[in-house]
Amino acid sequence: MNYDILVVGGGIAGMESALTLGDMGYSVLLVEKEPTIGGKMILLSKVFPTLDCASCIATPKMASTFHHSQVTTMTYSEVNDIRKTPKGTFQVSINKKATYVDFDKCTGCQRCEFACTVAIPDQYNFDLVGRRSAHIAFDQAVPKKAVIERYGSSPCSFACPVSMQPHGYVSLIRSGLFDEALEHILKFVPIPGSLGRTCSAPCENECARGELEGSLPIRQLKRFASDHYYEKYPNPKYGPPGEILDKKVAVVGSGPAGLTAAYFLAKDGYKVTIFEAEDRPGGMLTLTIPSYRLPSEVVERDIKNVTALGVEIKTGHRVESLTELKNDGFDAVFVACGAMQDTKMKVEGEDLAGVVGAVDFLKGVNRGDKIDLTGKTVVVVGGGNVAIDSARVARRLGASKVYIQYRRSRAEMPAFDVEIQDAIDEDIEMQYLKTPVRFTGKDGKLAKVESISMKLGDPDESGRRRPVPVEGSESSIKVDLCIVAIGQRPDIASFADNDKSKLTRWNTLVVDSTTLETNIPGVFAGGDVVSGAATVVEAAHAGAHAAVYMKRYLRGEQLPGEPLQQMLPVVDRNEVLKRQSEYRTLNPGKRKELPPKERVSDFSEVELPFTDDEARYEAGRCLDCGGCSRCGQCVVACQADAIDFSMRDEIKELEVGSVVISTGFELFNPSSKIQYGYDHAPNVITAMQMDRLLAPTRPYNTVLRPSDGKIPDNIAYVLCAGSRDCQVGNELCSRVCCMYSIKQAQLIMGSLPLADITIYYIDIRAFGKEFEEFYQQAKQMGVSFVKGKVARIEEGDNGNLIVQHENIAGDGKSERTEHDLVVLSVGMLPNQDALGLLSGGEIEADSHHYVKEVDEDHSPARTSLEGIYVAGTASAAMDIPDTILHSGAAAALAAAHVERVKK
Amino acid sequence: MSERRIGVYICHCGGNISDFVEVEKVRDAIENEEGVTVAKTTMFACSDAAQQEMINDIHEHKLDGLVVASCSPTLHTFTFRGVAERAGLNPYQYVQVNVREQCSWAHTDLKEQATEKAIYMVKAGIAKVRLTHPLKKTRIDTVPRTLVIGAGISGLRAAIAHSDLGISAFVIEKSDRIGGWVSEFGKMYPHNRLGSDLITELSEEIKKRENIHIYTEAEILTKSGSVGDFDVKIKVKNEEISLNVGSIIVATGFASYQPYEGEYAYGTDGVLTLPDFKELIDNSKGEIIYQGKPVKNVTYIYCVGSRDSSGEKGHTYCSRYCCNAAIHASLIANDVSSELNQFHIYRDIRTYGKYELLYREALQKGAVFIKFDEASPPRVEKSNGRFNVQVKDVLTFGEEIEIESDLVVLVTAMEPRENKAMNDVLKLPVSLDGFFKEIHPKLRPVETVIDGVLIAGTSQAPRNSAESVAMSLAATSKSASLLMKGYVELEPLIAMVNEDTCVWCGKCSEACPYSAIEKISSGEKEIAAINTAQCKGCGCCVPVCPENALTIKGYTDEQIRAMIDAMEVLL
Repeated sequence: MNYDILVVGGGIAGMESALTLGDMGYSVLLVEKEPTIGGKMILLSKVFPTLDCASCIATPKMASTFHHSQVTTMTYSEVNDIRKTPKGTFQVSINKKATYVDFDKCTGCQRCEFACTVAIPDQYNFDLVGRRSAHIAFDQAVPKKAVIERYGSSPCSFACPVSMQPHGYVSLIRSGLFDEALEHILKFVPIPGSLGRTCSAPCENECARGELEGSLPIRQLKRFASDHYYEKYPNPKYGPPGEILDKKVAVVGSGPAGLTAAYFLAKDGYKVTIFEAEDRPGGMLTLTIPSYRLPSEVVERDIKNVTALGVEIKTGHRVESLTELKNDGFDAVFVACGAMQDTKMKVEGEDLAGVVGAVDFLKGVNRGDKIDLTGKTVVVVGGGNVAIDSARVARRLGASKVYIQYRRSRAEMPAFDVEIQDAIDEDIEMQYLKTPVRFTGKDGKLAKVESISMKLGDPDESGRRRPVPVEGSESSIKVDLCIVAIGQRPDIASFADNDKSKLTRWNTLVVDSTTLETNIPGVFAGGDVVSGAATVVEAAHAGAHAAVYMKRYLRGEQLPGEPLQQMLPVVDRNEVLKRQSEYRTLNPGKRKELPPKERVSDFSEVELPFTDDEARYEAGRCLDCGGCSRCGQCVVACQADAIDFSMRDEIKELEVGSVVISTGFELFNPSSKIQYGYDHAPNVITAMQMDRLLAPTRPYNTVLRPSDGKIPDNIAYVLCAGSRDCQVGNELCSRVCCMYSIKQAQLIMGSLPLADITIYYIDIRAFGKEFEEFYQQAKQMGVSFVKGKVARIEEGDNGNLIVQHENIAGDGKSERTEHDLVVLSVGMLPNQDALGLLSGGEIEADSHHYVKEVDEDHSPARTSLEGIYVAGTASAAMDIPDTILHSGAAAALAAAHVERVKK
Repeated sequence: MSERRIGVYICHCGGNISDFVEVEKVRDAIENEEGVTVAKTTMFACSDAAQQEMINDIHEHKLDGLVVASCSPTLHTFTFRGVAERAGLNPYQYVQVNVREQCSWAHTDLKEQATEKAIYMVKAGIAKVRLTHPLKKTRIDTVPRTLVIGAGISGLRAAIAHSDLGISAFVIEKSDRIGGWVSEFGKMYPHNRLGSDLITELSEEIKKRENIHIYTEAEILTKSGSVGDFDVKIKVKNEEISLNVGSIIVATGFASYQPYEGEYAYGTDGVLTLPDFKELIDNSKGEIIYQGKPVKNVTYIYCVGSRDSSGEKGHTYCSRYCCNAAIHASLIANDVSSELNQFHIYRDIRTYGKYELLYREALQKGAVFIKFDEASPPRVEKSNGRFNVQVKDVLTFGEEIEIESDLVVLVTAMEPRENKAMNDVLKLPVSLDGFFKEIHPKLRPVETVIDGVLIAGTSQAPRNSAESVAMSLAATSKSASLLMKGYVELEPLIAMVNEDTCVWCGKCSEACPYSAIEKISSGEKEIAAINTAQCKGCGCCVPVCPENALTIKGYTDEQIRAMIDAMEVLL
C-alpha cells in the first residue's frame, strides 16, 4: 500500500479527516482538485453562531494539514478512478494536473500574477471580480504556489502553422505591451511584418469571437505590433549570439522558409550563409507580392531580424549543386528555393507575345521594369492570390479593363476573400466558371482569348468540385495581355541532375515528413520547394521545423530522436462560449483601407494601420479561450525560474487501504429560478457573493451593490432560494441558509449600521447549539423577519428591486416591497462528482444524489462499499460543526477498515 | 555570556522585501553584531536551495543560533525549524524576523526608513537568539485504554470503535442496564429502525470483543494524572476499582424536560410528553387506545421547554431533535391508525436537511399545521373528557382556532442531565445551556479544556441518535489520535516557575484557563507547579504574578528586554 488512507477533497471535511487520521499515525494522501486546500469555508466571511473569522479557523487547519508529517497533499489533482482489490484495499488513479509552475522553485511571490495578461472571472470571489490566469487562489492559499490555468490550446494558437501563439500577442497588445507583443512573435518567426500583411491567418477562422460578432483581426494586430516596433527600433535590439559554434550551414533561398530556418539556426550559434539566386533577398515576399500589399521596406526590416544574428545573404548566387555546398565545408544544407516557375496552361497560342506567366509578370513589376498598360485590356487566368495580385497590379499599371477568368466558382477560389473583394472593388471583372482554350494573335502577338464556360461536376481528389466544359459555350475577348496564374513549380532540375535528389511528379523535393531531410544526408528542405506553392506562414513553419531537426543533425544526434512536444488539445469554442453566461457585445471595427478609386492610382499600401486604441479595442475582444495566452510575461517576471510550460498532466496509480470521500457540495445556481431575476438584475446576488463582500479579504473593502457601486441601505434576504422547492427539483432543506443569512445580517449591521435588513422566510431553522440565541440576537439588533415566500423579484428604477411576497404574519396579503439589494440565500446541492469516483459505480447514491450512508444509525459516514466512507456535505447538507463531527466519524471508520485490511 | 555563533539570513523575497528595504544595507549593518558569524542575503530564504545553504553554513560554521529575516512567522516558522532540525541545530534556537508584512509591505513609500526599521528588527532578532537555549518537547507515553462514561448508544458505539482500533475500552454506566434512551425507543427516524434493536446489535458486537469491559451501576470517584496516562478510581456497585486509561469519553446523555404542573394542562390525564406518547404508539396496533378510550384527534404543541426567549419557564435554546421526532411520531401514529386527525401547533418547523421529507410526508398524509407566535401560546382546557385547544393561527392571519382533542402531546425539550458527582471529579466546564462545553465548536468540538477528556453525544448539546453516534465516533478519532502513536509530544514553549521567588499566592492558578497550575510543597514552603502536559504557553499567568516568578520559555523577560534594547535607537 502506498498510503493507508486516501482523502478525496481538501475542504474542511477532508482536512479534518486527514488531520485526525494523520494524528492517529496513518499515512494519508489528500487529493484536492483546486490549487489550494480549504474548500468553500476559507472563502466565507465569518461563521455562525460564534462569528469567528472563517480564515482564522480554516487557515491553521490548512497549514497543519499541509505540514503534517503523515499527510501528503496533492493539490490541483483529480481522482480519476477508484477500484476495490480482492484484498479489500483500493487501487486509485489520480490525474495530477499540470500547474506549469515548478512548486519546488515557486516562492509564492505573485510576480507572475501581476505580470499575467489574461483576466478570468475569479471563482474564489464568485465572479465579483477578476483574477489572472497565473494566480495564487487567494492570500491564505495552501500551498501558496502559483498555478497557471490552461484549459487547452486556444483555437487561434492551435490553428497557427508556426504555433506563434496568437493568443499571446493579442493579450499583450490588449495590455498595451506592444514591444512585448512583437518580441513574443519573434520567438516563433523572424518575419512578423510580412506575415502581418500576407498571412492567410488560419487563426482568424477559429476565433471563438467569430461565433459572436466576428473574429478578431489577428493578422492586422500582428501588423500593428510590427509597425509599432519597427518604427521604434529600425534595427533589431540584438546582435549575434555570444557563442558561435564551429558548424556551418548553407540555406538555399531567402524566402520565408529560408529566412526562418537561418534565424533559428543562427540564434543557436550556427554560422549560416543564405544563397539567393535573385539580386535581392526575400523570395516571394519581395519578388512577386505587390507592394500595395507588402511594402518592400517591411520585408527589408524583417530580413534584418535574421541578418542581425550574423547570417550572411549572398544574392545573385544560384546554387546548382547541393553536394558541392557540402564539399565547400557546409555541415548541413537547407533547401528553400521556393516554387518560382510559372505553370503553363498547355493550350494553343500560349507562346504568343502578350501571354505571360504571373510570376514573370509580377517579378518584372517589383524589379521596377517600366510596364505601361494604360488603356489596355488584360485577362488574368487563375483563382489564387497570385492571380488576384496580377489583376490588381495590372489595374495599377493603367489597364482600363481587367478580367479574371477562373474555371470554378467563387466558393472554390483559393485566394483570400478579402483580396477577392478588394479586386472587385477595384473594378476587376470576375468571370467565374470560365477558362481559356486558345490564344489567338497576329504577328506572334496576342489578340484574343477564346474561352469556354464550365460547370461543376463531382468533387475531385482535392475535395473541390471538378470543372467540366460546357459544350458550345465558347466566347472570346479582345485582349492586349493575358497573365497566366494557374500555379508555380520549383525550378530544381539541376539538383536532380547534379545531386541525384529525389523529386516527386510535381517536381518538388522528396523529404522525410518528420525531419524534412532529403535523400541526401544533411540536406534538408522545406517550403514551396517541397509543398508546391503554398502560403507564407506554411513556408515559415517549414523553416522553423527544419531548424529543429537540423540542429539535432548538427549535434550528431540520431534522427528523428525524441518526438516534439505536442500542443495541448484545442479548447472547444462552444465550451468557451458556455463558460460565461453572457458576454459584452463587442463588434469588430470597420476595416480601414484606402478608397478603391484612390488606391488604383499607385502602389500605396491599401490596408491602413490601427491606431493604438483601435488595436487595444480589437485585442480586448479576445475571449481568452485557452485561459493562459502563453504570452510569456510570467516567465520574464519569475525570478525563481519556476515557470515551465513543458509540464503535462501526470497519471499516478496508487494503492490505498481505505478512502474518505469529502468532495463537498455545490451551490444552487439561481439562474434556474428565473422569477428571481438573478441573471438579468445585477443587484440580485447570491449569499455566497455577499459573504465575499463581507469577508476580511473582501474585494471592495466594503459592501457595494454591483449595478452602480452604491452602498446599499435596504437589503433583502430571500431564504429557501433553491431549497424546499420542488419547482427546481430540490425538496430538501439546505440546513445552513437561515443561519448564514442571519449571520450576514448581523455582519452588515456592523459594517453598514444604517442599513435596513429584511429576511423573507418560511421557517427559521435555528436548530444547532446556540443557533436560537443567535437568531434572537439578530431580532434584537433590528433585523426584520417577514414570514412569506417570495414570488418574484422585478427590477425597478435605479437598479432597485421590487420583491413581491406574501406577508403571512401581517394580514396575509401579497405585498410589493422595494429594496436596493437582494441576496438570494442559495442552498446546497450534492456534488455528484463523488458518485463517479468508482468507475464500477459501486457507491450508491441516496434518492437526492448524495452519497448514501447505508447505516446512519450505527455507522454514519459508511457508504455502500466497505472501506469507502463519506465525510461532510458529500453525504448531505450540513453546517460546519456537524461537518467536523461527521469527518471525525469517517476517520474512525476508515481507520478501523485499515486495521482490518492490515490483519 | 558565552560566545555565540549566529547565522543571519536576510531575504529579498524576489523584490517583495528588497524593492523597499535595501537588504544589502541591512546585512552590512548587522554583520558585525556580537555573535554574528554568518550574515547573508538571499533571493528566497524559503527556497530549497537557500535552505540547503543554511544547513551547510550551520555545519561548516558550527552555528548555534539562526535568524531568518523574511516574512511572517505564520508562514514559515515550521519551515525554518525544519531547517534547523535537519542541520542538527535545536529548532528553538531559531528566531524569525518579519521584515515583509511588518516592514517592507507596510512602508512602501518610505524606503529609507523601512531599511532602518528592518535593521533594528534584525538586531532585535539577533539579541533574542543570543539568549536562546536548546529546548526539548515534553513527551508523555500513553496507555492504549479509554474510559467511556455512559452506556447509551454513544458510549457503546465509542467503545466498539476504540476496540476496532486496538484500544481497550472500559464503559461505566450509572444505571443497572445498558442502552440508555435508545433502548426504550421503538421506531426511530429517519430509517424506522427499532431503538431496542440498535442497542441489541451493539451489545452483540460488544460480546464478541475481549477488549471491552462494561460496568453497570458504576460511577467515577477520582481522577489523577494527565492526558495519555490517567489513573481513575471507579465505584462498581459497592466495589472500588482502579483503572489506568489514556483518555476519557464522556457520553452521559440528556434528560427529558418535565413540564411543570399546569403547563398546557400537564398533569391532566391525556396530556403526554413526547417520550410518553412514543411509548403509547410503539405499543399500539390497529388503533390507539388511551385509558380504554379510542383516540381520534391528537394535538401536538411544539417547543415545550425550548425556545423560551425569557428563559424563565423553559430553556432558551432549540432542542433540535423535537420537530423531527414529533413529526416522525405522528407518521407512526398515522401508520397505526390512518383515521387519526393530527394537529401540529408549532412555531417554526425545523425539519432541517433531509428530515424535510418527514414534514412533507406528514403534510401529504393530511396532518394540519398551525403556527403560533410565542407571545400568544395555545391554551388547553379539558371539558367532558376531551381537550379544547385554542390557538391564534399565524398561517390564517390570526384566526382563532379551536381543536377538540383526545390527546395533547407536549413536544418536550432535551435538557442536560444532572451530573454533579461526576463533574466534581472531571471539572468539565459547561456552556450557558448547561451542556458540556467543547473547546471550540469548529476547531475542537469533542475536546474539553481538560486534555484527554472528550465529550460525545447529547452530553454536549441536543442532537438525535445518529448525530450522537457520529459525535461519539469523532471523539473516538480524537482519542485514538492521542493514544495510537504511543506518546504525545508537547511544545516546550510553556510557563516555568522560579521556585526561589514563588510564594504561592494562587493568582497564577486563577488566571490559568487550562487548570495547569497547582500548588505543591517544596521544602519549607508552598509554591506553584506547572503541569507541563496541560500548560499551553499562553502567558496569562506571567503578568499576574506579584513576585515575577513566572516565565514563558522562549519568551523570557531577559529576551524581550534585550530585543527592546536592540531597538532603543528607534524609541
